[in-house]
Amino acid sequence: MSTKLTRFATQSSLLVATALALGGCSGKASGGSGTTTQASPLCAADPGPAPLRRITRFEYGRTIADLTGVDPSVAQTLPPDEETMDFDDIAAAYSVSALHADRYLEVAEQAAATLTADVAGMTVLAGCDPTGGDATCVSAFVTAFGRRAWRRALTDDEAAAMLQVYTATADPTPTDGLAGVVATMLQAPQFLYRPEPGAAGAGASQPVDGYALATRLAYLLTGAGPDATLLAAAEAGQLATEAGLLAETDRLLADPGASDLFVHFATEWWEIEPVATMDKDESLYPAWTDSTPAALAEETALFLADAWQNGPTLATLLTSPVTFADASLASYYGLPAPSGDGYQRIALDPTRAAGMLTQGSFLAVHAKANQTSPVLRGKFVRAQLFCTPPPPPPPTIVVSPPVVDPRLPTRQRFAQHTSDPFCASCHVLMDPIGFAFENYDPIGRWRDTDADVPVDATGSLTGTDVDADLNGVPSLAARLAGSAEVGTCAATQWFRYAFGRSEQTSGDLCAIGALASTLSGPGGDFKQMVRQTVRMAAFRNLPPEAP
Amino acid sequence: MKRISRRAILRGAAGAAIALPWLEAMSPRRARAAASPRRFIVMFSPNGTLPTQWTPTGTETSFTLSPILMPLAPHQADIVVVEGLLQEGGGGDGHQNGIGGMLTGSPLNPGPFAGVGAPPAGWATGPSIDQRIAQALAAPTPYQSLELGVQVGAADNWGRMIYQAANQPLPPTDDPAQVYASVFSDLHTDPVALAHLRARRKSILDAVGGEYTRIGGQLGSADKQRLDAHLTAVREIETRLTTSLVDNNPSCHDPTVTAVAAQENDSFPAVGSLQMDLLTMALACDLTRVASMQWSRSVSQVRFTWLNVPDGHHDLSHRSDDDSDAVNKLTLINTWYAQQMADLITRLKNTPDGAGGTLFDNSLILWSNELAKGNTHSRQDAPYVLAGNAGGGLRTGRFVSYEGQGLPHNNMMVSILNALDIPDTTFGEADWCTGPLTGLL
Repeated sequence: MSTKLTRFATQSSLLVATALALGGCSGKASGGSGTTTQASPLCAADPGPAPLRRITRFEYGRTIADLTGVDPSVAQTLPPDEETMDFDDIAAAYSVSALHADRYLEVAEQAAATLTADVAGMTVLAGCDPTGGDATCVSAFVTAFGRRAWRRALTDDEAAAMLQVYTATADPTPTDGLAGVVATMLQAPQFLYRPEPGAAGAGASQPVDGYALATRLAYLLTGAGPDATLLAAAEAGQLATEAGLLAETDRLLADPGASDLFVHFATEWWEIEPVATMDKDESLYPAWTDSTPAALAEETALFLADAWQNGPTLATLLTSPVTFADASLASYYGLPAPSGDGYQRIALDPTRAAGMLTQGSFLAVHAKANQTSPVLRGKFVRAQLFCTPPPPPPPTIVVSPPVVDPRLPTRQRFAQHTSDPFCASCHVLMDPIGFAFENYDPIGRWRDTDADVPVDATGSLTGTDVDADLNGVPSLAARLAGSAEVGTCAATQWFRYAFGRSEQTSGDLCAIGALASTLSGPGGDFKQMVRQTVRMAAFRNLPPEAP
Repeated sequence: MKRISRRAILRGAAGAAIALPWLEAMSPRRARAAASPRRFIVMFSPNGTLPTQWTPTGTETSFTLSPILMPLAPHQADIVVVEGLLQEGGGGDGHQNGIGGMLTGSPLNPGPFAGVGAPPAGWATGPSIDQRIAQALAAPTPYQSLELGVQVGAADNWGRMIYQAANQPLPPTDDPAQVYASVFSDLHTDPVALAHLRARRKSILDAVGGEYTRIGGQLGSADKQRLDAHLTAVREIETRLTTSLVDNNPSCHDPTVTAVAAQENDSFPAVGSLQMDLLTMALACDLTRVASMQWSRSVSQVRFTWLNVPDGHHDLSHRSDDDSDAVNKLTLINTWYAQQMADLITRLKNTPDGAGGTLFDNSLILWSNELAKGNTHSRQDAPYVLAGNAGGGLRTGRFVSYEGQGLPHNNMMVSILNALDIPDTTFGEADWCTGPLTGLL
């Protein structure tokens, strides 16, 4: 409650300034459409498309919680987002159904009830208590809430339409009408989608409108809608210059929301999310219990947030020998219990541990229920870290992991992949990388032996810019951290997430190159790369309209 | 389960009739109900089957069920086993085009989902059979169809089998508690409050729709299409507000749903059982006449621990035909699915229909799989079981083989439509259909 009041208070004072700045033009939805730019956007030639974005479940929960105080977990009752290329925000994959509409309706009603139960909060927002039904105050509430929910000033027509909803639903009390307005706004395309109307028939790139740019920035950096400060900056035209845009970028990069966003992005990129519903063969691995998935997910989220806080370089992600555990998780890993309650930062043995590559969540997801999978682990490195997915097996061959045999260690059971030239032609790309992970069992714990013989974690990395013989994960991690190809791939993954689409044009490749150079260059890290994103033409401009 | 009170039944959004005593003769719906509403249900199980363990032996009318189909023995007189058809499909990888074409008889569009060894594919290019049926029935029910899932999970074209139209997949709901709260809400809401809520939602959704029209008009054509699709979805739930539940069936109860961890592997049977209860009750209450029951998804890795099968299903389905361990386990899994089909039939048989007889009497159930065989991804000789005679449209107690005739499964879909008195002559991709199957009905 107190945080919410604070937020509204901030906004309320800014609203006054805004009203002055707009000088009576509040009916026009075109905040800050200044045209002078000091620095031209990067990679402006041949820009890729800008498809209509829908806010994802992750973004929806955070946005609606900011707006109404409802718990962000309400988003979990929406149908799952379509996922492709491992990301939840790829616009080409969206579909919508009556089930979606049904869920959006019910959650919007729930959120509206939460907000309207907070009379003090609404009073701060509107600058008066709208629950008495005073027409001027209701109108002030519609204007103020609408500006936050739709991330721009309402047009006169929109405000009139929402006041009609108020009139139709203020039965029996004015509060019901306010809830009706809120529920309507939270189902409208101005909330659920990110429409960016451009000048009709524009044949050339044009700058993204100030409000729309604020929305792009807020979702890019924090996975939520613009806060009051950002909206005010948009209205003051400050985002039209690169300096103004970067000032807001830097402010938001220091916001806790930016850490959450990074955790979300990296969790999808590293394919960690399946751990939540992961299931292992508990007859072979009794340490795996119903509470393990949540603990492993929490560990990784904390590791990523810590990396974000302390310098999120590619090397940190790939090699840092630290993790987080509580007493229960430490015991799971066979580590000494941390001092202090809850999850604590723990230094690990650098000859064993290497950042994300030895996170229990990552290792468990990239394994089978009853055995490790050098194939899945090696394939991950190729597909997700080098962006060169190995060719798939021919559809008609019988592919399945060898049956677990307690007398044979994993790598011997996968021997057919190297003895049979047909298999070897592709598996040479995966298994020799995956073998380096063999010290980690299918539930992500260190092991010295496999089938009662000492683990052989030797392998090799071939066909890359950092080829080497391997022995254990740290040897692999060190090579990956020095790879320009891995840096470019990480930038590619970020590009896809940031723009909600695959890379398609020469402008896109230019942008990926510029992003990679800020990630891997001197002093570079993920924060620098995220910051660089907003300088791209693909971020600041709308593409020319299709003829 | 508590019987819902007569007072809890709304007839018309106005609510004026709420407190009136129930008089069957007063209900205009009664006459329609007496004409036996036809119902259609799809059940899906994934990853192909084992033809050698699935195919019955014997003749059309005198046949012995296979090991996998043995749980259907109590219903043998009420089913039709169909074999020998090619399940058509195209675009994407074997599992993608298998599940995408299974009920649509149509290929997938190109799209964003990268399959294994195939160009990336999108959604199907036409509606699924159940949606064609829903459209033709045009039932005055709150839901035109109800999609229920069991651990279907991610939203992609490996997990979608129901399509309202081209590019319009309908996601199933995996959580029984959510189905209960949402679909059955009219049964557990005070009637006066319900009337008020409906009027209120009507106002809200009218305005929401207006905004989709407004913003759509400001966007380019591709983006506008997306908002138009959303507007259609909004209009669909708006229509529900004016379609009241009519209780003309004493079997209609407000169901109870026990709490269950819907996505936990070992909950799979419990979730499925709850969903089948809800499906049955939705039919009994005439909330819908078309429903689907989707067990997991293509490439399902459910581990059948309750059958002492610890391996992931998809991994098992790729093992060799001479791997006796895999064959035994896959037989157990597919037999278990046959038991679920049998249990669904039993539920319908045990539930009286308001118009007399049971729900089963007027129903047709189709059980299908995205593949014939998992380790080859073959769709030739796909396994189909039909159950129920659709109120007399289908002769049951038969094993019908079309082996060696090179016929597409689209033809079976035409026959299914005909069994339900829908006089279509083709279904799905035109090139994949040569008319109804001879001798199926």
